Amino acid sequence: MDKLSKLKALLLSFVLVFQAGAPAAQNSQPVVRFEEIAAKAGMRVQHHTHTFHGKNADVLHMFTSGGAAVAVGDYDNDGFEDIFITDSDTGKPNHLFHNNGNFTFTDVAAKAGVAGGNDPLSVVSDALWFDYDNDGKLDLLIARFGTPILYHNEGNGKFKDVTATSGLNKFGNSIAVIAFDYDNDGYLDLLFGNYFKPVNLLDLKDPHVLPNDLDNATNGGGVTLWRNTGKGSFEEVTQKAGLANVTGWVLDVGHGDLNNDGLQDIYIACDYGTDHVFLNNGNGTFREITEKATGWDTKKGMNVDVADYDNDGWMDIYVTNITDEYMKECNMLWHNNADGTFTDVSRETGTCDTGWGWAAKFADFDNDGWQDLFVVNGLRSAGPESYVPLILPVITTPGLDITDPGNWPDIGNRTWSGYQKKRLFRNLANGTFKEISAEAGVDNQFDGRGIGIGDFDNDGRLDMVQTNADQPLLLFHNVSERTGNWIELKLIGTKSNRDAIGARVKVAAGGITQIREVDGGNGYAGQSTRRVHFGLGGATTINHIEIRWPSGRVESVTVPVNKISYIEEGRGVVPR
Amino acid sequence: MIRKLSYSLSLFLAVCLLSGPSRASDSDYQQAMKALGSNDFANALHYLESAVTDDPDNLRYASEYRQAAIKSKEFDRALSFFEKLSAAKPQSANLHLNFGFAYVDKIPVAGSITQVILANKALNEFTRAVELQPNWINLYTRGMSYLFWPKIFNRAPMGVADLEKAMKVQSPGPKKNYYVKTYLALGDGYWKTDQLEKARAVWQEGLKQFPDNQQLKTRLERQGDDLQKAIEANFDPNKRVDTDLRDLWTSSQN
Repeated sequence: MDKLSKLKALLLSFVLVFQAGAPAAQNSQPVVRFEEIAAKAGMRVQHHTHTFHGKNADVLHMFTSGGAAVAVGDYDNDGFEDIFITDSDTGKPNHLFHNNGNFTFTDVAAKAGVAGGNDPLSVVSDALWFDYDNDGKLDLLIARFGTPILYHNEGNGKFKDVTATSGLNKFGNSIAVIAFDYDNDGYLDLLFGNYFKPVNLLDLKDPHVLPNDLDNATNGGGVTLWRNTGKGSFEEVTQKAGLANVTGWVLDVGHGDLNNDGLQDIYIACDYGTDHVFLNNGNGTFREITEKATGWDTKKGMNVDVADYDNDGWMDIYVTNITDEYMKECNMLWHNNADGTFTDVSRETGTCDTGWGWAAKFADFDNDGWQDLFVVNGLRSAGPESYVPLILPVITTPGLDITDPGNWPDIGNRTWSGYQKKRLFRNLANGTFKEISAEAGVDNQFDGRGIGIGDFDNDGRLDMVQTNADQPLLLFHNVSERTGNWIELKLIGTKSNRDAIGARVKVAAGGITQIREVDGGNGYAGQSTRRVHFGLGGATTINHIEIRWPSGRVESVTVPVNKISYIEEGRGVVPR
Repeated sequence: MIRKLSYSLSLFLAVCLLSGPSRASDSDYQQAMKALGSNDFANALHYLESAVTDDPDNLRYASEYRQAAIKSKEFDRALSFFEKLSAAKPQSANLHLNFGFAYVDKIPVAGSITQVILANKALNEFTRAVELQPNWINLYTRGMSYLFWPKIFNRAPMGVADLEKAMKVQSPGPKKNYYVKTYLALGDGYWKTDQLEKARAVWQEGLKQFPDNQQLKTRLERQGDDLQKAIEANFDPNKRVDTDLRDLWTSSQN
């Protein structure tokens, strides 16, 4: 072998060794993967959209197919997150899945007294865990097309219906509800998002109930804000708080501190028209900043989630809309510009197109310190024919009264934006996301509605529930490999509301600073864990943890890595 | 033969109608151009409305009016103007054409459902224009308009039919630069109706006639998803369609 040949051989072997090394480097990356285990876990239950009767049954069924909801919360304080699931047809029971601690669940709804709600004049549409009386036990609110139901947690595995004395007696076609302490008095208040105007769809006197415009509708249900009096009851303060001018078809409401002033602000997502952004004035009122903050829109807003996806210290907002062959709206990822304005970066980040979007939630599924995003979608998966061509005459016939369901064709067995694959976007830590739903095992084609995220086996990896309209729910166990280190903090308010909803936690570790806020039900048809979860990547130590409580108190704490820690306002880390 | 002659005549008529100002409207048009030069849109729109009212078949006046309306975001004013004038002059094909374009001009700033309504109204006006005068611009415009509709509405075959007619109109006459648009659009129409071979054949024929056209080259170079992206980028309802008709009077013959 001459010198040149030897040199070539040496170079070749170097290249081969180098190439062989490359996969090893890739292997250190986390692999996000989920296993669907609902049946195995004892949770394979099916949702049923309300069945209407009479002339407009088909169309009303279609317009109310949103009530498949999930709420995650540890109602019995045993350290394991439990799961509440709604159903929506007359007589169908809701489900309270008690977590047995081994990734199996037992439906105890009937025993606990929370299975009801789908009575002949009401449709269950959403659910929310919150401790309204600060007694340390999660109470349960059921939102309905009807009046809500408030269950008090009696602490013995049973709940008591206290609606009659709660003041929550106003009829609404509520599709969303969140809890947060808008006036910082230490008690959780309720914000309802209402879809239709407040007429009973199950006893319709006047059929003109559908949107009066499909891009700028003004005849929806708006929002209603209920202040917790601290005495076991609520009073409506919508008008007083400055929210009465919202008359759109609200599908979701979300809260978060959008301007870093320590107060909880709100974002309202509306179907058939513009969303709204309100800042909290700190005196029991809100001021609308939509025009300056985001501008008015004509899209079909379906979801609100609030999170700092780019770790710049400011909360951003994700809203799903409709993007399909026949409608190109694109979602909105409102990047917070830190000056009272937001810029939609959904195209730039790769999160624009998720089909007919419903719930979307940020969460760090691989514990790398960057929040990923799961989005469910799909309106109605049925027969091979599409409903869309049938709608065209409804839309284009001049003067046709589209508020009358009688003017809409029956859908029959037709599909409408169905069979859509779910999207899981992995945060690439550079301002963009990569869609990985297939490799992660979550690219199912069910007609998704809600997402509930929680660490159901307390292993530091966030699991998920996906609810589906008229279809069984899915339970995704996070079995991701090579995930990073993590912490989970369960905050307990003392001066602040006991659930600590609205508290902000700042964690500096591994060269990045992350913020999270305790979330009182953000995300369409879903409430995720109130535990604050941080992925830490390779960091084994934490430089600093700061908690800003809703009361305004700021505390620093130290907690161990890869553990769930309980922190009480004013006391620091406490035993569970 | 008779059909060919009638197409040629209608094309000749259309060109005559846009070929130049000849009446009192000219003075208004000149005033409008002056106002536009200083971004005085209020006056520009006023004078252009006078010019179009006086000479409703003048494509140039109407096209300039719409472009001024786009720049000043006066979409509803333009629609209202064309609606009234086309009702008063229902036999003016060029007026219906521009009325249709006024709807198209508003589409990018409208909500997703309103976009459908506007597109449908535009199509109605384009159809009226074709009925009154089946010349190249009217056939091409309606054909393209059909192609914008999502596949699920099955309107692409009607677009192909119009564009094939437009191709027949342009084939015998002297070649105009803007005729390349028909090759592009007809090929896109064939692609949208799953006739890829025919699409490629039309684009290839177009490239023979217009060898420097980059869009034709791109379509012929690409396949599969890449080709789909290249074509669909031209049919995004959220992007403004260039509805400026000045090519018709500035285009040189090859």
